[in-house]
Amino acid sequence: MTTVSDVNTHPQPLNTGFQPDGLGARLRRRYFRTPGNAMISLVGMAALLYLVYHALDWAVLKAVWASPDGTSAVCRDIAGACWAVIQQRWRIIIFGLFPYDEQWRSMLACIAMVATIVLSCLPWFWKPLRLSTLWCAGFITFYVLMRGGLFGMRVVMPADWGGLTLTVFFYAAGVLIGMPMAVALALLRRSEMPLVSRMTGALIDGVRSLPLITILFTAALIFPFVLPDWLQGDKIWRVIIGFALFFAAYQAEIIRSGIQSIPVGQEEAAKALGLSYWHRTGRIILPQAFRNALPPTINQLVITFKETSLIVIIGFFDILASGNAAYGTGEWSFAYFEVYIFVALVYFVFVFSLSRYGAYLERRMRFGQH
Amino acid sequence: MSEAAIRITGMNKYYGKFQVLRDINLDVRSGERIVVCGPSGSGKSTLIRCINRLEEHQQGRIDVLGTELNDDIGNIDHIRRDVGMVFQHFNLFPHLTVLENCTLAPTLARKVPVEEAEATAMTYLKRVRIPEQALKFPGQLSGGQQQRVAIARALCMKPKILLFDEPTSALDPEMIKEVLDVMVELANDGMTMLCVTHEMGFARQVADRVIFMDKGEIVEEGRPAELFDNPKNERTRTFLSQVLSH
Ligand SMILES: Nc1ncnc2c1ncn2[C@@H]1O[C@H](COP(=O)(O)OP(=O)(O)OP(=O)(O)O)[C@@H](O)[C@H]1O
Ligand SMILES: [Mg+2]
Repeated sequence: MTTVSDVNTHPQPLNTGFQPDGLGARLRRRYFRTPGNAMISLVGMAALLYLVYHALDWAVLKAVWASPDGTSAVCRDIAGACWAVIQQRWRIIIFGLFPYDEQWRSMLACIAMVATIVLSCLPWFWKPLRLSTLWCAGFITFYVLMRGGLFGMRVVMPADWGGLTLTVFFYAAGVLIGMPMAVALALLRRSEMPLVSRMTGALIDGVRSLPLITILFTAALIFPFVLPDWLQGDKIWRVIIGFALFFAAYQAEIIRSGIQSIPVGQEEAAKALGLSYWHRTGRIILPQAFRNALPPTINQLVITFKETSLIVIIGFFDILASGNAAYGTGEWSFAYFEVYIFVALVYFVFVFSLSRYGAYLERRMRFGQH
Repeated sequence: MSEAAIRITGMNKYYGKFQVLRDINLDVRSGERIVVCGPSGSGKSTLIRCINRLEEHQQGRIDVLGTELNDDIGNIDHIRRDVGMVFQHFNLFPHLTVLENCTLAPTLARKVPVEEAEATAMTYLKRVRIPEQALKFPGQLSGGQQQRVAIARALCMKPKILLFDEPTSALDPEMIKEVLDVMVELANDGMTMLCVTHEMGFARQVADRVIFMDKGEIVEEGRPAELFDNPKNERTRTFLSQVLSH
């Protein structure tokens, strides 16, 4: 795009290989069009450079990366970041209180869970049989590795699980149980039977008007008094189901809005072909509803990932809590900032990949492909 | 041949208190081709949508292919498989390819093996003259092409009756003919057809009977030549003069 001002300031360059869209030209046009403009740009850039330099100086140039003797002595009197705390304490952050000698199990379990999540993002797995096989295999691997008791592995109860592994497991299990619940709630709320749809509506609205914390508390601490013993299960499962229910209440409304944006003609055409309710729902309505609802669904998945940090309140040792523990010893207590940056980076990697994956899905579905 | 494919007796339909259809009596023989016309809001769509129970009637009786339409959902799904429908706005499934649009219902509702369903689909896509579009998505086709896919999709269920609800009125003029040509061919092959349309040329060419509706009633019916050239009812005359003056 050549604007009037370009032509005025460069009257001659039309035939000298002037590239209107070269990077230099673009920068010049955007930031240095007038002297005032150039001033502001220069000051802004200087400020930015100054900040970046300081951050880099602290995080990289003056940082201490490792502690040879295992103590925090190396970090005394330094002006940079003390990454040695990560080098010394990363096991606590990632594995929580899992017994030290068995942490390879937690590591493998975490990898298995992440691999399951990543694999199920590949279109090849989007067949009911493949997906359910994958997730069964993923969860069984995870559970066997973590809990032990088989193949000569020591039993480690869920109360001792922790760190990133626990966060990832909790999230995956919550979403995996919550998603079918959400679909069921969305469909029930659209039921033609007024009683069913009203009751579902009341349940959804009820769950949505409670804070997640109270739901987790109820699941963890109150249900043991209310439910018969055989129905209680382990605390972690009660909490996961509470978490899933909370996710499902929101996701159900997202799916319902996706269903409502499908033209009525779609359902009519499917009916006219003689497709049964389940075929119509499974093959025509839900696939289109999920497409329509993809952006808010990704949004909800991101929020839900961050909400996993609330499980610390009912005594679970998720990655944020184990981060606290990592600097909580008197020795490393000055290095909380570095630990939080590390934990934030871990969250960032997960959430950012999720967002990018959502963007990829949207691009892929623009034409209507699977 | 004279066995009734559709028999409607004393049928009334209401939306709340508003009566959309009054005392409809209609027999359609198997193989018969019927065109339904009438002013906007006269209940044409409602009438043909009652035949595959996209709308429920409140009084009277509708028998389709020997089965009465009532609350028995199993029956309804069964009848819908034998009664194809083509809509004004095509209603193709946008997330499925043309071929998948055509094979979905046969494989799911009729349990036809996939290869066989695909072969059938290709046959019908050839008949509507778009086999080369089989792997495209509906959004990539023109309106006329989409409507022909919709016809092929209905045919893939091997229906005994085909219902059309203004199949050409959402199309640009230059695409109307390609759709009508396909419909004429179907009619000549002996398909039982009930078609809501204002295409008088089509009606004259293929219809055994034209039904004129107004205000929820069947006002007049007869052979196209009789009804168009020599309408007996005043309302029919008014309507025809309006349509023909365009
Ligand atoms: N779902 C509905 N609820 C209430 N009234 C309706 C509904 N659908 C249709 N109607 C009314 O019923 C009458 C008949 O509608 P119908 O769609 O059958 O007319 P039509 O003859 O097909 O008209 P057009 O040529 O415009 O398609 C109209 O007056 C319309 O307003
Ligand atoms: Mg209509």
